[in-house]
Amino acid sequence: MDFEKIIAYLNIQPEDKEKLAEFFEREEIREFLLQEWEVFLKTDCSPVEEDIINNENCISDNPDNDINMAMIPNIPEDEETKARQTVNNQYTDSKDNDLDRKLKSKHIQLQNGKVNQAYQCLFDITVFDIADIGDFELVGLEEIGLKFNPLTDLIEGIPNKAGDHRIILKCKRSEWAEGDPIFERPITLIINPDPRSLWNNIPTPTSIEYYKPDSDCKYVKVEKTKGIFGLGKKEQKDIVAASQRGRSHAHEGTPRDDDFSITHQDEEGWYIMTVADGAGSAKYSRQGSLIACQTVSDICNTQFSKYNKEADELIKDFEKDSSDVKRKKLGDALYNIIGSAVFKAYKNIEKEAQDKENQLKDYATTLLVTVSKKFKFGWFVAAFWVGDGGIGIYNKETQYLKIMGEPDGGEFAGQTRFLTMPEIMQPTEIYKRLRFEIVEDFTALILMSDGITDPKFETDANLNRIEKWNKLWEDITSSVDLTDDNENSAEQLLQWLDFWSQGNHDDRTIAILY
Amino acid sequence: MRRLPVYLLLDTSASMKGEPIEALIKGIDTMIRALRQNPQAIESVYISIITFSNTAQVLIPLTDLGSFQMTELKATGQTALGAALRLVTDRINSEIKRNTMKEKGDWKPIVFIMTDGVPIDDWKKGAAYFATCKTAYTVACAAGSQADTSVLKQITPHVISLEKADEDSMSRFFLWMSSSIGTTSVRVESNGDTLELSSLDELPPPPPDINIL
Repeated sequence: MDFEKIIAYLNIQPEDKEKLAEFFEREEIREFLLQEWEVFLKTDCSPVEEDIINNENCISDNPDNDINMAMIPNIPEDEETKARQTVNNQYTDSKDNDLDRKLKSKHIQLQNGKVNQAYQCLFDITVFDIADIGDFELVGLEEIGLKFNPLTDLIEGIPNKAGDHRIILKCKRSEWAEGDPIFERPITLIINPDPRSLWNNIPTPTSIEYYKPDSDCKYVKVEKTKGIFGLGKKEQKDIVAASQRGRSHAHEGTPRDDDFSITHQDEEGWYIMTVADGAGSAKYSRQGSLIACQTVSDICNTQFSKYNKEADELIKDFEKDSSDVKRKKLGDALYNIIGSAVFKAYKNIEKEAQDKENQLKDYATTLLVTVSKKFKFGWFVAAFWVGDGGIGIYNKETQYLKIMGEPDGGEFAGQTRFLTMPEIMQPTEIYKRLRFEIVEDFTALILMSDGITDPKFETDANLNRIEKWNKLWEDITSSVDLTDDNENSAEQLLQWLDFWSQGNHDDRTIAILY
Repeated sequence: MRRLPVYLLLDTSASMKGEPIEALIKGIDTMIRALRQNPQAIESVYISIITFSNTAQVLIPLTDLGSFQMTELKATGQTALGAALRLVTDRINSEIKRNTMKEKGDWKPIVFIMTDGVPIDDWKKGAAYFATCKTAYTVACAAGSQADTSVLKQITPHVISLEKADEDSMSRFFLWMSSSIGTTSVRVESNGDTLELSSLDELPPPPPDINIL
C-alpha cells in the first residue's frame, strides 16, 4: 500500500506512517472499509470506478461474486511478484521487507554529469546500512557510456546522452541462491547537455524596425607610400574591424546591438575608429550604436579636414614641449573636435527618439572613439570612452601598453554608463573622458566591446596587464593574418569572434589599427 | 564567471502538508529540467533554496544549475516569513560578489517567495531588512486562498496568486518562473542591463491561472 499517498490524502503526520500500517492491518478497519466500499459501489458505480476494479467482475452486475476477490487487481507479472512466490517463511519475509525498506527509504542521488565530459562518482553501497548485502549491479549505466568499477567503487566514463537517467541498483543477499529475491532501487542520474549543443542560430527577421545584419566586417587599406622611382616604399598601417551578434541574441533571433565605423583620410592622414555597444535592455539600442558610430565618424572626418593644420601644429608643439599649458591647449582643441562629435551623436540620437516618439533611453549605447595620425616623431592617438569595453595601445616588441581611459563599471555586473545619459553629456564629463598620447610606434591600437573584454580580460584590473594583451594578440594573430594590406583579414577576424567562452555570449566587436 | 543567483524562499509550514508540498517539489523539478534546456541558464544560473516554517534555514546553498539536486521537503510548524527574509538578506550580502577592480561581480539576484499562509513572526522587520539588499527583482507568490497577499505586497510590488496549490498550477507557476529566469539570463548577457523590473510585463506572460495582483 502506498502510505505516502494516504498520508497526503488524509493529511496526517508523516511520523505516524508506521501506525498507519498497523491501522490498516486491523481486521475491523478492513471490514468497515469494505462495507463502506460496497455501499458506495451499489449507489454510485460510475465508469471511473469501473476502471479501477476488474470490469468482468463488476459487483453490481454479479451480486453473487465474492466481493473481496473482485477488488483485488490482477497480479502483474514482474520480478517482484515472482520474488514473492519464492519466499517460504515469515522470518525471511520480514527480513526481506526490511532490506527492501532500507533500500528504498534512503535518499540517494548520484552527482550530476555533463555530456562528453569525464564523469566520476563514488558509489558506496554501505550508505544503505544493510549488513548482509552481497553482489549488486547498477543497470543502465552502459547505455549512457558509464561503467561501475567494483574495485574502486567508482562510476566512471564519459556520458554520451543528456537527460534524467534511471539507473537501477539490483542487489542480492550475501548467501544468495537461485530463486532468492533480487532487490531493486531506482536512482536518478542527471546528465546535463553540453550547452554548446543547445544554442540556436536564428537569423534576425529583416522586417524589424532598424534591421541590422547579424554580422559585419570591414577593411580599410592604406597603400604603401609611393617612394621615389619605386624605392623607399613604406608600409602604412591599415584598419580592420568585425562585429558579430552574440549567441544569446542568435538563440532568440534578436538583432546585434553593437556597431563600429572605421575610416582613413587619405589627404590628411587621420585614422578614425569607433566601436559602440547598444544596451541589451534598450529596445532600439542597435540604432543608438549605429547613429553614435556614424555621427562621430562623420563629424571627426569633416572637423579634421577643416582644422588639420591647426591640429597638426598643436600636436607638434605638444611633442616638443609637453607642459601643462600645451597639454591644455591641445586638449581644448580635441574637445572642440571629438567632444563636439560625441555631443552631436547624443543630439542625433535624441532627435531620432523624438521623431519616432520613443524615449532616449531606448537607444542607450556605449561609445569608444579613437583618432590617430602618424607624424615624423611617432604616432598621436586620442581617445574618448564612455561605458565598458576597452581601448589600448599595444606594442608587442617593447611590451608597452597604454589603456586610453577607464571602463565604467557599476557595483554589480552589467551596470555601466551610456552616451545617452544626460549626466554624461556635461562638458566636464566629456572632457574627463578624453585622453591623448604620443607614442613612437605600436603593434596595434585596439578598440573592443565588452563582448570581448569580458571573456578575454575578465576584470577591469586585468585590462592593464600586458600578459593579457600578449595572450589576446597571440590568440588573434593565430587565426587572423594581420599582414599589411591583407583584405582577407576582415573575414578572418569575423570568424575569430566566434570563439567559445562559457557564460560570455554577448555581441562582440573589435577594431584594430595595425 | 558572472553568476545569476536565484533564491527560492519556500513555505514549508504544516499547512503545506500533503499535496501542496508534493506539488511544490514536483514544480521545482519541472523548473530545473526546463532551465537545463536553456543554454544561457545552464551557464549562468545558480540556485539556492531557503525554507521557512518555525524558523528559516538554507536547505540548498547557492549551487550551479548543472550540479543542482533537489532534496526532500518536510511540511511542519508555522510560517516564519520574517526569519526567511532576514536569512536571505544575510545570504545575499555574504555570497553575492560585487564588482571590484579585481573581480567581475555577479548579477543581482532574483528572489522568489512562495507561501500559503499568514506569517506568525515579525515579518515587517524582516521585510525592512530585506529592502536594504539589492535584488534584480522579487516575485512573491501566494499559493491557495489562505495566503495573505497584503503582506506580500509590502515586500515586493510583484505579487501573484495561485488559486490552488495543486500540482497543475504549481508546475505551471514554476514553468513560468523558469522562463522568467531564462529571459533574465538572456537579458543579462546584453551589456549594461540593471535587470530591474518595473513591472511583471517585462517577463514572459504568466499562464491563465496565475493572477497578477
